[in-house]
Amino acid sequence: MVGKRIAQTPQGIGPLGKRRFAPPPSSIIWAVAIALAALIIYVSGELVLLMILSGMVAYLVNPLVRRAESVAIRRGVAVTAIFLGLATVLLAAAYLLVPRLRAEVNALSSSFPSITQRLDEAIDAVQQEITSEYPAAHRLFPAREARYDRLNAFIEEQTANLPNLVSYLATIVLAGVLIPFFSYFLLRDSRKMIQSLMDRLPPAHIETSVAVWCEIERIIGRYLRGLAMDGMVIGTAAALGLWILGVNYPLLLGGFSGLANVVPYLGPVLGGGVAMLTALIQFKSLAPLAKVLMLYLSIKLLDDVVIQPTTIGHSVHLHPMLLIASVIVGGHAFGLIGMIVAVPAVTVLQEVTKLLLERRRYRTGTLVAHPKRGIPIQPFVC
Amino acid sequence: MAKLRWREWATDPEQLRRLQLLEKVPLFAGLSRRHLGKILVKLFEKEYDPGQTIFLEGEPGKALFIVLEGKVSISRADNSGDQPLATLTPGAYFGELALIDDLPRFATARADEHSALLILYKSHFDELIEGHSAIAIRVMGNLLKALTGYVRSAHFRMTSHIVTPAASATAPEPSERPA
Repeated sequence: MVGKRIAQTPQGIGPLGKRRFAPPPSSIIWAVAIALAALIIYVSGELVLLMILSGMVAYLVNPLVRRAESVAIRRGVAVTAIFLGLATVLLAAAYLLVPRLRAEVNALSSSFPSITQRLDEAIDAVQQEITSEYPAAHRLFPAREARYDRLNAFIEEQTANLPNLVSYLATIVLAGVLIPFFSYFLLRDSRKMIQSLMDRLPPAHIETSVAVWCEIERIIGRYLRGLAMDGMVIGTAAALGLWILGVNYPLLLGGFSGLANVVPYLGPVLGGGVAMLTALIQFKSLAPLAKVLMLYLSIKLLDDVVIQPTTIGHSVHLHPMLLIASVIVGGHAFGLIGMIVAVPAVTVLQEVTKLLLERRRYRTGTLVAHPKRGIPIQPFVC
Repeated sequence: MAKLRWREWATDPEQLRRLQLLEKVPLFAGLSRRHLGKILVKLFEKEYDPGQTIFLEGEPGKALFIVLEGKVSISRADNSGDQPLATLTPGAYFGELALIDDLPRFATARADEHSALLILYKSHFDELIEGHSAIAIRVMGNLLKALTGYVRSAHFRMTSHIVTPAASATAPEPSERPA
């Protein structure tokens, strides 16, 4: 009887005449959520950047957590133990490497004021070496005064932003504390977050949602872990090679090459360029320059043929033009982080769109599934 | 004693329960605990209310489902309406054909009572198969056994229907049914 009365009341009016709460349509909720997210990104860009970096760290550490989870160890215990282990490893590495790195940084900073002059001298020496072999090449080089002025202007322009870097030191230190903090909680609670999302999803969309989530996780996880591994191998190989060739600052240059390697195409050029410049200033001769070039070309070849296929694998299926375009757009929008994140982001977008379109075509009947072509079908069963 | 207590404290009872259930799933029969653990971390859990549809016949399928709790019925529509194929209880699995081909779902799955299901996405399954030959051999062997079971039971039903229509009533209900 009561049920009947409720059913007969106008929409939104309860049995006692009170107005019942009617939830707003989902499109309004989505619009509000997107507007809020955009506002947060606009107001606190630095926080978003920190969250992205924390997410990247979490993705890198996640395989270790999963390994612990596979033997039914509590996620919280596993994450705490892994973070303590990582902190110990990092402290040990810092203890071993920091004195050497500090010495290299000190040597570099003491030689910095005279860098234009030293570079000019090195270029001059190389020019003389070339013109003594091929006198006709003399016409190709500009006059020394003009070159010195241009070089000076270029280096001044490039180093103009260096004082700003010092002012960012506080932010960098804060990030060093906040990133492990955020990534710890992201890792510890990610399963709960996913589960609560799964509980809220309507059953009709569960398979599509799981498929989309798995694709995102697969692409981003494999890309970031591969990139980190790739960077470490490249950095170590470059540092070792430069040390063998007797180039100054091998640890700094190796570290820089490893870091720069995360930016597709441009990174290896930048890493190799800086190492060649250092070799040019140090040796003032063409032969060591060629050796450094050969070292970086060999590393790039090794990277393309052996390292990348085993680390990043086939997680990224982007057309080279789309890849470059996404790196440029990412760089313009979010700087270095944008350049790193652009490739997996565009890959995710591409794969998820493909997946959703396929399902849509299935539902609308425009896609008729056929057994894979080329596979012979057994005409009988026995 | 202290070691045992520490182990108990560090163990996740929910994950342990899932792991113990996976040991009973026929598809994963013969796999070591280490390998079951690799499957365990790839699973998603979803709860369904009684009567809720898990998937519909003809929809694209991309995942395997394992019954963790509750009861799930599998049915297939024909001219005379929905024909029940099987009722599944904890430890049973369905939707396995999605792991093999990209064809639409063969049957409809519905929760008969409040049920919790574990979901294994096809790409994760493919990754496991590609990365671990021991898992691939066991799981593919079990999948083949299940498929031969479907073929034999379908063949038996067809022939018994042709020879003596009455015999089909006594034929074993397809406990192994493709979904």
